[in-house]
Amino acid sequence: MANPYLVVEHLTKVYERGQVLALRDLSFAVEKGEFLVVIGLSGSGKSTLLRCINRLIEPTRGRIWLDGVDLTRLSQARMRRVRRRIGMIFQQFNLVDRSTAIGNVLTGRLGYLPGWRALLGWFPKEDREKALANLERVGLRDKAYVRVDQLSGGQRQRVGIARALMQEPEILLADEPVSALDPATSHSIMQYLEQMNRQDGATVIASLHFLSLARRYGTRIIALKDGQLVFDGLPTAIDNAKFKEIYGEDAEEVEVR
Amino acid sequence: MGYPEGYLSERPPWTTGAGIQDALARRAIAARRYLGVFLLDAGALAILWILVSYVYAWYVLGTTAYTLVPWWAFAVGVVEGAAAWGSFGLSLGQRLLGRDLGPVKGREASSGARVWYLLLWHVLVLPGVGFLFDPPLHERLTGLGLRPRGTQGVAPAPWYRTSAGLFVAALLAVTCAAAVGVTVSWTALVRLFRQAGETVDFWRALVSPDTSILLDAGRDMIITVFMAVLSTLFAVVVAVPLSFLAARNLMRGPLGRPVYTVLRGAMSIIRSIEPIIWAIIFLVWVTALRSAFAGILALWVHSIADLVKLYAERLEAIDQGPIEAITATGAGRLSVLRYAIIPQIVNPYISFTLYRWDINIRMATVVGLVGGGGIGQRLINYIWGVQYRQAGTVMILIVILVWAIDYLSARLRAKLA
Ligand SMILES: Nc1ncnc2c1ncn2[C@@H]1O[C@H](COP(=O)(O)OP(=O)(O)O)[C@@H](O)[C@H]1O
Ligand SMILES: [Mg+2]
Repeated sequence: MANPYLVVEHLTKVYERGQVLALRDLSFAVEKGEFLVVIGLSGSGKSTLLRCINRLIEPTRGRIWLDGVDLTRLSQARMRRVRRRIGMIFQQFNLVDRSTAIGNVLTGRLGYLPGWRALLGWFPKEDREKALANLERVGLRDKAYVRVDQLSGGQRQRVGIARALMQEPEILLADEPVSALDPATSHSIMQYLEQMNRQDGATVIASLHFLSLARRYGTRIIALKDGQLVFDGLPTAIDNAKFKEIYGEDAEEVEVR
Repeated sequence: MGYPEGYLSERPPWTTGAGIQDALARRAIAARRYLGVFLLDAGALAILWILVSYVYAWYVLGTTAYTLVPWWAFAVGVVEGAAAWGSFGLSLGQRLLGRDLGPVKGREASSGARVWYLLLWHVLVLPGVGFLFDPPLHERLTGLGLRPRGTQGVAPAPWYRTSAGLFVAALLAVTCAAAVGVTVSWTALVRLFRQAGETVDFWRALVSPDTSILLDAGRDMIITVFMAVLSTLFAVVVAVPLSFLAARNLMRGPLGRPVYTVLRGAMSIIRSIEPIIWAIIFLVWVTALRSAFAGILALWVHSIADLVKLYAERLEAIDQGPIEAITATGAGRLSVLRYAIIPQIVNPYISFTLYRWDINIRMATVVGLVGGGGIGQRLINYIWGVQYRQAGTVMILIVILVWAIDYLSARLRAKLA
């Protein structure tokens, strides 16, 4: 059997400020093409985990292997090259508010542009065409030249997705992509992620708040509690007892339809 | 190329460099916490004591004296006072640092424990011996420690019911008394009202303008505006790059932090010297008797210091989200600067610059008063020459100019917001 695509091994993160142990000795592997959902309460370490994978946050201990390369050992320059293949979308969208939709989407290509061209904002014609095509794909072609601070939450997240699409990512990290959105919009966003997973073959790692969304879209689920891995398995394997263990005794399951 | 090489062997923390560093850091943090509170309390008590002594000596004894006791008695009193204050009430230092002395673990903060704590304070806390242990020894012995305020689920007392609040009230009262004692004398107060009539000529001259000087005054006003424009523009050129070096969130690490500290310190020193003083310095420096150039240099230096602070504080408040997102695409540092940081700061920077320009117009007239050129210089020449009508005309012109620029800059800034 081939080696797993992404391996996280004994990953530990300590935030110096406040002495918080955010991740404790986490180990798991992800196969290519999986849609892995990370669940857990707020503060359980989901964001930290996702950011360790592309090293927006430096892990304290442990290894992360992507396609046979130990990311934790790479220099900053080499890591930047790897990041080009890792798309990311965020709970708060993290768009540049003063820029237009297409301006934001184009930044997805920055990793491929020579420095001086990036500084001048001189994107090749193919990139501009691709940006428009990706905006078309997320249904925002007509908003291309509108400043993103005038878009709704769902539209902003779609701009975020288009930005990630520009990278043609092998992996997509999604940090609570729908937590700031209403249920109907959530499903439309999740369907774009599903599409990237199925059609474009991107491996998706998404953290989600609601178990119902996780069950509906994930091919596998891992659960964190206080930075520890408390579950790793198929969505169907989370029964009531497991649910209470992850979310606490008093939790009630809420459906998002 | 390889794959998981088996479990990382975990060593006990105290055998690793990181573990030892960690342990030392924890002790240092605890020690610093207590030292911070103590220094603030001792300083606060010292100030109050000196002021009280001063007021007492001034009003009661009719002399000038600072502590009324030998300095060693003063020092011992301040140290003991700080210890007692910290042990038995919410001291100012505790209040400012958001902590108070209470049970570390659920136990009651009995008066016995507090007395015990005060005694231990002399042998463990003050010499720092207690901090060789983690948690500190005196915390273990008394069960009391500095903990974050309001964490026990008890509503903190309103400020006027805490000893820190009473202290601040007392300090304000004594400061007012001392300030009045220093600056105001009865004879001067009497003169202020009795001799108001003698300025009537002056006021009358002020409101009967001399239009014959309008052209000359207009030319000087243009010089003043140019002084403000030039000094602001050149200040921007220097301040923009410096602001990045003076932003705490961008200057991390062993190289960045010292640069940040030195730069911010230097800027606040420069800023604390008023432009008028800078003008005098530059007048001496460029040895010109009347010179708009010296005025421009003065405004320039002061504007740089002011703008660096304003810019850097804006940089420190930027949204980290876009930085994260652009970094995640694999973009380099310069691209992150260009696409995630600069779009967030352009408008605020322009807005601050306009604001500073507006200040510089006013400052340019003030700088002129000491010979820094422009309309201010004309004004002071008229006043020394007892040409009150002409001086009045210039003052009216200055009011109009300042008002117009103020209005213009406010409108522009509102557009940018
Ligand atoms: N920059 C930081 N500094 C210190 N502690 C942090 C920082 N970021 C997160 N934490 C802490 O780490 C833990 C995990 O946080 P996070 O990964 O954001 O959890 P989640 O995304 O599941 O809500 C929390 O206890 C949080 O308070
Ligand atoms: Mg999070």
